[in-house]
Amino acid sequence: MAASAVSNPSQLLPLELVDKCIGSRIHIVMKSDKEIVGTLLGFDDFVSIFLWKFKAITPEGRRITKLDQILLNGNNITMLVPGGEGPEV
Amino acid sequence: SGGGGGGGGGAGKMADKEKKKKESILDLSKYIDKTIRVKFQGGREASGVLKGFDPLLNLVLDGTIEYMRDPDDQFKLTEDTRQLGLVVCRGTSVVLICPQDGMEAIPNPFIQQQDG
Repeated sequence: MAASAVSNPSQLLPLELVDKCIGSRIHIVMKSDKEIVGTLLGFDDFVSIFLWKFKAITPEGRRITKLDQILLNGNNITMLVPGGEGPEV
Repeated sequence: SGGGGGGGGGAGKMADKEKKKKESILDLSKYIDKTIRVKFQGGREASGVLKGFDPLLNLVLDGTIEYMRDPDDQFKLTEDTRQLGLVVCRGTSVVLICPQDGMEAIPNPFIQQQDG
């Protein structure tokens, strides 16, 4: 019985979920304590994220930086929360 | 000394030999719709109901709870948790996946009492 490389089709593929989020708010949690909330413009195969009108939040220092556009390197991304607002500040 | 040059010749003919299928060593389909606990590089931990995954180990978790670490001791978990809801976990960041039930924390067996 060969294990199929294609997963059960009725499940939700992670990158499909990210794709559905394009144009909406997304909250991104990095490996470190940094988090980012913004509007998702797009992503690539390596899940580098292209964001617009976003805020970078560091919960330790509570510093909030607001910027217009950013290309975020996918190297340090741990979690993506579609529609998330980020930690309460 | 001319050793080590002979290894390159056989690599060309991969087509007929083993067809490399992308088979995972861990079959996550048995965890679908079950609650799993995930640990990440950098020390974050979360648990949630597995809703989907791909061969790169990206995960979709529903009803996700993140377990917060103690700010003083980065490796100690506190009672603090926060709700994240439906999240995508990056497979490149995942270091451990286990079922939520049947696992429990024990006192650190490696700590040695240091005096002075």
